[in-house]
Amino acid sequence: MSKTTIWRCWSALMLLLAVTTGSAFLPLGSFNLVVSLAIALAKALIVLLFFMELRGSAGLVRAFAAAGFFWLLIMIVLTGADYWHRTDAPAPIDQIR
Amino acid sequence: MADRAIGFQYATAAQQREASTLGMWAFLATEVLFFGALIAAYFNYRIYHPQELIAAARHTKLVLGAVNTAVLLTSSACMAMAVNATEAKARRTAALWLVATALLGLLFVGIKGFEYVEEFREELVPALNFDLARYGNVGELFFTWYFAATGLHAVHLLIGITLVLTAATLLAADRLPANLSVRMIALYWHFVDVVWIFLFPLIYLAGRST
Repeated sequence: MSKTTIWRCWSALMLLLAVTTGSAFLPLGSFNLVVSLAIALAKALIVLLFFMELRGSAGLVRAFAAAGFFWLLIMIVLTGADYWHRTDAPAPIDQIR
Repeated sequence: MADRAIGFQYATAAQQREASTLGMWAFLATEVLFFGALIAAYFNYRIYHPQELIAAARHTKLVLGAVNTAVLLTSSACMAMAVNATEAKARRTAALWLVATALLGLLFVGIKGFEYVEEFREELVPALNFDLARYGNVGELFFTWYFAATGLHAVHLLIGITLVLTAATLLAADRLPANLSVRMIALYWHFVDVVWIFLFPLIYLAGRST
């Protein structure tokens, strides 16, 4: 990766950090979380694609990299399908007040 | 350089590089799940106790967190520069960029430690001096999670700093073995950065607008 690309990525990351920190103070309600996570995703993609060189990697390496995140998504969705939609039997966490 | 000698089980340097990259990503996939479980737990807390969790998160130190994020992102850029110098066979330049990376990593850990001290002063440390009457049960839940997540992240960073400094020393002495490449250490370092990229908004940005 060229030096120019590295410092361009760095500038983009710094800009996104400033934007996400600033956006946290805008009164957007629960949309604040959506904005900050979207920006986090953009920053992570810059690091993954450029710094971690997934952009030019072999298909098998990309598949390995994607597998971890894809599996995590499955686990979070399954957890959420239970915990976030319970109406009758409360989860232990719901008993904390 | 790392490509100078190859392990006996490989036919070419390119094959060795592909195999070690694949192995590193297999390890990082397990790390995704490791930190992912913590992040899933956070979403559970946030969905079950939205108001109380946000109120607790407001006690974290936003300025220190934002500065630390900038420090870590810059360290990743230095790490990428080290890999760039390794490719160009500029041994000493690469070693210097590695030292810069490690110093920024140490700065991050230092700022984090200062933050922990501040939190101890404010009686926010569960099991040590948490002020339950003042911050509530959900506050304790949040800070238990906070110390687990940031603590595990800091441990990963300390491992990274050790690896980076070892590579810098060996590289400067031109004794970097074939099975320890700057590129592999860089993958690990950048990954620890990615984890922080997600922890930062969840910890420091929650509830700042209310």
